[in-house]
Parts: sequence; structure tokens; C-alpha cells
Amino acid sequence: MRTRFDEQLDQLHIELIKMGALCEEAITAALKSLFDRDKSLIPVVLEKDGEIDRKEREIESLCMRLLLQQQPVARDLRTISSALKMISDMERIGDQAADIVEITENMHDKKFEIASSIHIRSMSQEAVKMVTNSVDSFVKRDLELAQEVIRYDDIVDDLFSKIRGELIELMRQGGTDGEVYIDLMMIAKYLERIADHATNIAEWVEYSITGVHGKMDGGEA
Amino acid sequence: MTKRIFRAIFYVTLVILIAAMVIILAFIRDFNKNNYREQMRNEAIYIADGLSYGGISYLESLPKDSNRITWIDQDGVVLYDSQADASTMENHKEREEVQEALASGRGESSRYSKTLAEKTENFALRLEDGTVLRISATTLTTLSIFLSMTQPMALVLVLALVLALFLASKTSKYITKPLEEVDLEHPEQALVYDELSPFLRRIAAQNRQIQKQMRQMQHRQREFRTITENMQEGILVLDTKGEVLSYNTGAIRLLGIDHISEKETIYALNRSEGFRTCVEAALHGSHRETTLEQGGRSCQLLANPVMEEEFVAGAVLVLFDNTEKAEREKLRREFTANVSHELKTPLTSISGFAEIIKNGMVRQEDIPRFAENIYQEAQRLISMVQDIIQLSRLDEGESGMEKIPVDLAAVAQSAVSRLRPLAEQKEIDLQIDVEPAQIMGVPHVLEEILYNLCDNAILYNKEQGSVCLRIRDEGAQASVTVSDTGIGIPQEEQERVFERFYRVSRSRSKEVEGTGLGLSIVKHGAMLHDASVSLKSEPGEGTEIHLVFPKKA
Repeated sequence: MRTRFDEQLDQLHIELIKMGALCEEAITAALKSLFDRDKSLIPVVLEKDGEIDRKEREIESLCMRLLLQQQPVARDLRTISSALKMISDMERIGDQAADIVEITENMHDKKFEIASSIHIRSMSQEAVKMVTNSVDSFVKRDLELAQEVIRYDDIVDDLFSKIRGELIELMRQGGTDGEVYIDLMMIAKYLERIADHATNIAEWVEYSITGVHGKMDGGEA
Repeated sequence: MTKRIFRAIFYVTLVILIAAMVIILAFIRDFNKNNYREQMRNEAIYIADGLSYGGISYLESLPKDSNRITWIDQDGVVLYDSQADASTMENHKEREEVQEALASGRGESSRYSKTLAEKTENFALRLEDGTVLRISATTLTTLSIFLSMTQPMALVLVLALVLALFLASKTSKYITKPLEEVDLEHPEQALVYDELSPFLRRIAAQNRQIQKQMRQMQHRQREFRTITENMQEGILVLDTKGEVLSYNTGAIRLLGIDHISEKETIYALNRSEGFRTCVEAALHGSHRETTLEQGGRSCQLLANPVMEEEFVAGAVLVLFDNTEKAEREKLRREFTANVSHELKTPLTSISGFAEIIKNGMVRQEDIPRFAENIYQEAQRLISMVQDIIQLSRLDEGESGMEKIPVDLAAVAQSAVSRLRPLAEQKEIDLQIDVEPAQIMGVPHVLEEILYNLCDNAILYNKEQGSVCLRIRDEGAQASVTVSDTGIGIPQEEQERVFERFYRVSRSRSKEVEGTGLGLSIVKHGAMLHDASVSLKSEPGEGTEIHLVFPKKA
């Protein structure tokens, strides 16, 4: 006989998976809109961002109900508190996907070619992969995958500084409208932030499994 | 039950014990009283006897610490009392026992002291001279007997209680032990109490029924599992909350996951948008289907709600791989497009030439040249249609394809001799290096394979090039190699040359007459013979096609 508490925890798990999936979809669609110059995806991303915000509130109130009514302890408490932290990271990912399409909307009107020398494509692939893996690590409660995501953050950070260098070089050479480079720079920054949020999610997954949070319990500062 | 029996026995023992004590106490009291009176009566008679001889001095000689003796005259005046001064005592005429003695010769009475703890028993006897002798004795009341007996009684009670406790627990265990030992798996063997036999028989019958139903259910489940496990399609059964109740290995394979843990939510298996909306729709009671694309494979998902009366009781998801179907569909569309295109080109030429002639726009002397063109195009159409027929025959695996022992060398000779004129015309050196190799095969298909291979080698060759057809008997198999010094096939196109109508670079195919079906016929013919086909080619150097036929068909 399953208690209401267990049912609510399962419900929380399902809602988090759905929210994670929405984040993946939002960021994937945003980048597809950028690279494929597909304007039709812009409202899709904004719609997803709205849905992510709604999901956040929904999950938040579910967590609050669980905390107040059931007064969970130990592992269950960790699950709920990390869920509360995770949703705010997911919500930020959704916002940043929306920010990216807003920039992209401007760029669509201009004639430009994203030079293949810029690593923005590979950076976006890596960022999406991190989001997917962090959600996967939560879904499968896979500690190893979560730790891989945390380690992976450095790669995205390196890519960011690489892109920055490349853009500075391109601007020095002149040529295309300088605005495009600034836009690309901002997109790269958003991607870097998204990767950070994915790392945070992975850290909360680690915490909910082991009870130890890498950064808070005296890991890297 | 043990507890209840224990308590019952214990209380019964307790009640009996207390009742027994009360009854015994009453008897003791009664006996005591009677005994006492008897003694007092005897004593009075003795003392009266003594008094009649010794007078008052006899009374005074009696010991003072025994029962109280009072001598009263017929008017109630106390003449003597053993425990008090007789002159100070009041008149005893009104005392109950004295009155009785004066009237009937003897009288008795008993009086309680103020504390009720003692009782004075009086016995009065009328002497012959009319005076009355009274003997008084203090006796113990029931209460005091009881009080004096409390200690031993408490001891007995405690002992009895302990004994009762012990025996009650033993007895209750003894009664319930056979019940505990009843083996409910085989209740009919344990008829301990007759009163229980109806229950046990009923339990046994129900056991048998349950076992039978369990066997049936297990059987049905095995049946279901065997059926679903052997399906290529994936099946998932979900409850209302989207938890996986049942699945088959097909589902695991098609979803591209390693395992499904118990009661896992379906969203953990695939959270893509299409999948989610389908599942949600099914869980809300409507049928939905979609195509999932993942890892280069395409997978059809059907989500059906399971309705119980008017409520959704869950959902069944069926997945099937339609990658091949989609590919076949694509190939078929391409084939149709290619066939119509390839057929249209010569037909357009024929129609064009014919139209010009019909309109009389051609000079008489040019007509043979036009007729030649029409003839050439018609020939091309015919050969193409023949190739298509050949291919579809191979596709259908039509009758007339019975395999018989065939010597590849002979087939090769025949094919080569048919191609000799073409080779000479193109100035290609057509070499043949064969040794007898017997395989099981369909002669005209084999000849078609060799003919097409050599034909291609000649057509797509350089000027003054050469073609070599080699056949080797390699024991269990026979190999055919056709090599040329031709233009070769680029690496990235080598995969595709066996496709129907596929021709390396369209522009070049205009120069060379060909239907684009030759290698396709080779491939299908080889498949019919279970032969393997491999291709080695270097652009500008030449091409080598190698076929290996197993000897046993």
C-alpha cells in the first residue's frame, strides 16, 4: 500500500523530468533558430519559456506542500530541497534560451554568415549536451553522469574564452557588421551561463544521491 | 486465543478458590459455635453438681481465669461472680438467658461486644433450689476468625494463584498447540479438533482453487510473455500515473535504453516532446500516434488508452521500427521517378523526330537518318524495359528460376562471345581466363550477371583499355572477378552504384549508353545465388568486381 507521500514524490519526479525536457527543447530550438535561420522557431521557444515558468511555480508549490504536510526527513528531504534548487536553475536555462532567440531575431534581419572558424556551433552542441546529460543524470539517478557533467563545465568555459578571442580577432579585421560579433559574443555568454546552470543541476543531483554537495561541503569554492 | 483461554481458566480457578474459602469459613464458625456450647453445657452441669455439695465455697475454689461463673438467686440477685464483686452487680432478673432458665430450666444467649470483635456466649442452668447458675464465655466472632486467618489465607491464596497461573498457561498452550501446528498448506491432514474440520475442509478447497487459478494465471502470463517477447514490436503497458507495468524486450530495443526498472515512470524512458504528448493524450483517453526519430532510426509510436467503463485505467504503447519501411518507401519513390525519367528521355526524342517527319519538315534524303535515330532510341527503350523486367523477375523470385548444376566457365564463354563485337567496336581488349567451376545456379541469370559485368567494364573504359574475366574454382566456392582499366568509381559513390538507375555522374552517362540497371541486376542475381559481391575501384585506374558463389545452393 503506497502512501500519499510516495505518490507525491513520484509526481515530483515526473514533473521534474517534464520540466527538464522542456528546457532541452527550448535550448535546442533556440540554437536551431540561430543556425538554420528559422524564424518560425522563435515563438516556439518563447512559448516553451512560458511553460517552463509555469512548471516552476507548479513544482515549487508541490514541494512546499510536501515539506509542510509530510515533514520529510533524510533522503526525502534532500530530494525535495534539491528539487527546489534545480527548478530555479532550469527556469534560468529557459530564460536564457528566450534571451538567445531575442538576439537571434535581430540577427535574422541582417545578412551575415557565421564564419566556420568560430567555435560557436561546437559550444552550443556542448551546452545542449550538458543540459541533456544533467537531466538524464537526474532521471536515471546516475551519479557518474552527474559528475561527468560537473567536470565538463571546464570544456565549455574554455570554448567561451576561445570564441571571445576569435571574435576579437574578427572585429580587428573589420568586414561584417560589428553588431553581429557583439550578438554572437552575448550568445556565447548565455551558452556559458546555461552550461553553469546545467552544472548546478548536476551538483544537486549529486547532493540528492550522496547527501554531499561538492561546492558547499568544502569542495572547490 | 491462548490468552483468552488462559484468562478463562485463571478466573474460574480464582472464583472457585474464593468460594471454597468462604464456605469453609462458614462451616468452621458453625462447628466452633456448637462445639463451644456443648462444652459450656457440660461445664455448667459439673459446676452445678459441685455447688450442690460444696456450696459457695466450691465456687470460690474454682480457678478464676477460666470461664466467668455467676450464681444468681430466683429474684435475680447475684450471689456470686467469679470475675466481679457480687454485691456491686445489678439485678440479673431481666437477662434473656436467666429468664429462659427460670422458665424452662436452661437458657442461652449471645451478646456482641461493642467492637464486634468478641462475642459473649451465656448459658444459664436452673438448679434444684431454684437459683440459676450462669456460665459466660467470650468467643471469637466470624470476623475475628477471618481476621486471624488472613495471613495463612493470603499465603494459600498466593500459592493458589501462582499454581493457577502456571497451570492455566500450560493448559491454554496445550489446547492451542494443535491449532498452531495446523499446516494451512495441507489443512485436510491436520484434523485436530472435530469442531474445526468444516473450516479446514473449506480452507483446503479454497487452497486448491487458488492454486489452480494461480497456475492458470501463470500460464496465461507465460503465454503473453512468450508472444510479446517474440514480437519485433515494442509493447509497454502503463498505469494511470504513467508508470510502466509491463514491457517486452522489443520496447527496450526500440527506445534505445538498457533496462526498465520496476515501476519506472514512462517519462524517464523518453522525454521527447512527441512522445510526451502522445502518452499524455493516451492517459487522458484519446488515441494518438507519432513517429519518433532517434539515432538515425525512425520508430512509429501508437498510444492507446485502456478504458474501464468510462475511466482511463492506463495506456498501451506500441512501438515499431519503420526505418526499413521508410527507406523502402524512399527507394520505391526514387525508382518510380527514375523509371519515368529514363523512359521519358528516349520517348521524347522519338516523339520529336516523328513529329518533324509528320509535319513534312524533313527532306526526303534526311529521313533515313531520322529513322535511324528513332530506331536507336526505341532500341534503348526496349533494352531498358527488358532490364526492368529482368529485375522485377529477380525481385519476385519468379518460377523458372530453378537452380541446376551450371559450369560457370561455359556461361562466361557464352557471355563473352556475345560481347565480342562490342569490345571490338570500342577497341577494348577483352580477355578471358576461366577454369571449370560447377555451381548450383540459374543459367540465364548467371549469364546475365557476367554479361552485365563485362558490358559495364567495356562501356566505362578508356580507349585501348582492357577487360579481364577470371573464374576460379576454390573448393567449396567459385569466384568470378571482372577487372578493367576503366575510369573507376569515386570512393563516395561506390556504395550507391548497385542502386537502380544510379549512374556515376549524370553528365558522363549521356556519353555512354546504359540503362543504369546493370549493376542492380548483378546485385539481385548474386543475392539469388547467395553470392557475395565486393567492389574495388580507384578513379582513373580501373574497377574490379569480385563475386564469390557458394557451390552448394
